[in-house]
Amino acid sequence: MELAGVDPGHGEGDEGGRRRRGQGELATEVLSVLHRAPGPVTASWVQEQVGGELAYTTVMTILSRLLAKQAVVRSRAGRAYVWSAAADAAGLTARRMRRMLDTEPDRDAVLASFVTALTPEDEQLLRSLLNAAEAAPGAGGRDDGR
Amino acid sequence: MGSFVFLPLVLPLTSLPIARLAEHHLHPRNAVRLLSWIGVTMAVCSTLALGLLFVVGTAQIPGNPLPDSWSDPEIRTAVPFHEEVGTAAVAGLVTVLTACSRSLRRHLRIRARAHRVLAPMPLDSDLVVLPDPEPYAYAVPGGPGRVVVSATMMDSLDADEQRALLAHERSHLANRHHRYLLAAQLASCVNPFLRPLQRAVGYATERWADEEAADSVGDRRLTARAVARAALVTRGAPPPAFAAFAAPGPVPRRVTALLSPALGEAWPPPASPAGLAAMVAAAGTAVSAVSALNAAVALLLLVKAATPW
Repeated sequence: MELAGVDPGHGEGDEGGRRRRGQGELATEVLSVLHRAPGPVTASWVQEQVGGELAYTTVMTILSRLLAKQAVVRSRAGRAYVWSAAADAAGLTARRMRRMLDTEPDRDAVLASFVTALTPEDEQLLRSLLNAAEAAPGAGGRDDGR
Repeated sequence: MGSFVFLPLVLPLTSLPIARLAEHHLHPRNAVRLLSWIGVTMAVCSTLALGLLFVVGTAQIPGNPLPDSWSDPEIRTAVPFHEEVGTAAVAGLVTVLTACSRSLRRHLRIRARAHRVLAPMPLDSDLVVLPDPEPYAYAVPGGPGRVVVSATMMDSLDADEQRALLAHERSHLANRHHRYLLAAQLASCVNPFLRPLQRAVGYATERWADEEAADSVGDRRLTARAVARAALVTRGAPPPAFAAFAAPGPVPRRVTALLSPALGEAWPPPASPAGLAAMVAAAGTAVSAVSALNAAVALLLLVKAATPW
């Protein structure tokens, strides 16, 4: 994650540069807090973990900038937003999706699955169909009839 | 009227042959629409019949809120019933309503849950690829509809096959297949005899999406290969209950259909076996509807005449 570029165009003045650098470091810290987090967390949780004298609004500002850079993702949990690091988001979503699929066995009418699992007989039949199709002349080519 | 009032409860038995014929002879799009309509009509009629039996059979049971006159002798001669039938109808109605509301709630819950799970993923594409070792691909309906595919499933297909898979899932979303599936599911909750229809609608929606995917990638054989290879990496089917009688499952049948020439989209001519079957199905549904309506209207008139106010 190109954190160095959290806020490009800094370093005009001595004072300004120090302040911006400080923000860049804070962004790194916020992000590492999110990486350590057990799951999506609220901004106030991040504020606690970062510690120090950081104001809630500062944390929110950092999070929004990270969001704009797609370094973090947020989702709604009840009335508040929860945040997680983007690199983790896909993995986290995958785990939650899996948990959902495992706990909702009767989902056929809602979520149309591409294929259903095969019985051993089906598997054998399918392999022979596949072989026949691939052995057929013009296999893989464009055809609309046969 | 007589025992015609029972007809709507029993006619759904015809859904098994209807489903078979539709699967073999109709373009899947027509099959889905026809079967869903038949299912919903038969379910409504069967509920109506249950309601009639309930009203007439229970109106004289002490403590019920219905006017006793609703079960007057002349009404009783018009509707064949006994109190047992009426009581059974109450149980039936309660079961039907419970099952339907449970199905509906589950449908909404699963949809909401899937959208909550997917909420953090960026919306710039309807495709979400998740890093999961389990191979799967799902269409998640609702605004906005999304296609969820595990990275393992993507990796097991080549680029062309992936296009076929995405076209298939997008066809589910674009044609709102979940509505037909829900309608068929609710119908089979209302009358268990309609269960073959539910299975047939499920299969026909998959075929419909397969056909659209084949049109979209312009290659039936490629689509067949995508379905077959995706199924072969998806493992762990429970052993069939009656292995000896197990017919080929839905996936081999889909692949076979894709390897055969496409069925025409036009309705079959009335003289052909398929056309005849469609007409028989429509006639059966119509008889079911007419007998239910006939019973309802006759009862309504009688009850109106018998009601003192």
